[in-house]
Amino acid sequence: MKLAELYKGKTHSWMMLECSGSKNDTHSAVNQYFIHSDYESLLMDPGGIELFSPMLAAVLQHTELDKLTTLFASHQDPDIIATLSLWDKAIANATLYAPSLWDRFIGHFDLDNLHFEGVSDEGGEIQLGGVRLRILPAHYLHAAGNFHLYDPTAKVLMSANVGSAIKAPSDTKFVEDFSLHVKHIEQFHKRWMPSNQAKANWIARVKELDIDILAPNHGKLYKGEQVQEFLEWFDKLDVGSAAK
Amino acid sequence: MISISDDVKVVENFVRVAQIIANLESILTQAKNLSLTAKNARVVALRAGDAALGFKPITNFIDEFSEQTIASTTKIADLSNQLFKVAHKLVRCSQYFHQMTLLKTHLNSKQADAMYQEALKSQRRAASQLSLALSELENHFEDIQKQMQSAEYIAVTSRVEATNAGDFSDSLQSVSDFIASAAKTIKTAVVYNLSEIHTLRGVLK
Repeated sequence: MKLAELYKGKTHSWMMLECSGSKNDTHSAVNQYFIHSDYESLLMDPGGIELFSPMLAAVLQHTELDKLTTLFASHQDPDIIATLSLWDKAIANATLYAPSLWDRFIGHFDLDNLHFEGVSDEGGEIQLGGVRLRILPAHYLHAAGNFHLYDPTAKVLMSANVGSAIKAPSDTKFVEDFSLHVKHIEQFHKRWMPSNQAKANWIARVKELDIDILAPNHGKLYKGEQVQEFLEWFDKLDVGSAAK
Repeated sequence: MISISDDVKVVENFVRVAQIIANLESILTQAKNLSLTAKNARVVALRAGDAALGFKPITNFIDEFSEQTIASTTKIADLSNQLFKVAHKLVRCSQYFHQMTLLKTHLNSKQADAMYQEALKSQRRAASQLSLALSELENHFEDIQKQMQSAEYIAVTSRVEATNAGDFSDSLQSVSDFIASAAKTIKTAVVYNLSEIHTLRGVLK
């Protein structure tokens, strides 16, 4: 397993954990992203237990552990934060940014070292060394308290479950033909995204951003015109199917 | 030393701690019942007057050891929160150590080695803390065991005295039976707990 580069700029780079071997195992089911600069690093959605040691090994190949200063959790699902108590042991002085709504749940991890910085509903910013990252509200997509992370320099939006494809082929990193990809995302978005209003709010907010890469938690990433295609498709999709 | 890579064993040991603590409740309940019995027996002995003269010091004795048992059990209950915390810490340290052994299979570096060593130390420290807490617990259970030996002796003595209590003989006989029964229940729970502690301490060595 290794961290593959998604973006490399003067101040920092974006990386994604790539797993070799079976495409159907649980390891390959979650995308994990890592921002690395000379002075500080950030790990997004630290992941499930099965990913802890491979992710830690991959991180150590790029940085010293005391430079991993920041964790970001988009929401509270087990595949997103089940390893929090393990990271809490591994890194002594890091800050965890997560929705403040989850404050009382984070307490159940019995963290000793990680400093919890609850992000209010309006969102906020993370200053990672010289890099400014925006925390964008994505509430109810799918979790009640949900954030995405946007990097205006790299033009990458980590979109958590928005854009995710579950159990889809991972033969390429990026979606190549959106019309063929739709069948892997349609049911997931209809069922997991509960609110058309929340979806419309998010799309309006995201359309104002300059995005080169849309990076979801699961499945292929969207690049260039595929990003716009996805947004247009999502805009038209009727979600919340289980309540209809 | 605990088999660190075996998550199932680690959790099994945590369950053992939980079982020990759960048994405390039945010990405490029986000890409180003993205390009540002593008070009732004192009333019966007073009403029996001279016929139950030999029973009076016995009721004082029952009262005394039931209070001691309640005090020991309460101390153990206070310890139990601490014990759970330490046991939980060991579970977490063991899980983390397991992850560090996996890390070494992914990465051959000085930092990975250092993290492995640190995780091993933390795991050993946690095991040692749990062992110490269990040792303290063992002492308290041994105290209760001695108190129950006294209770069994009193049950026999009070049975003899009850036969001399005339009309109050049946009432005092039932007191003796209850003491014997409560002492037996408490002893069974204590013996079980001491055996579990012994097993746990063996695993932690």
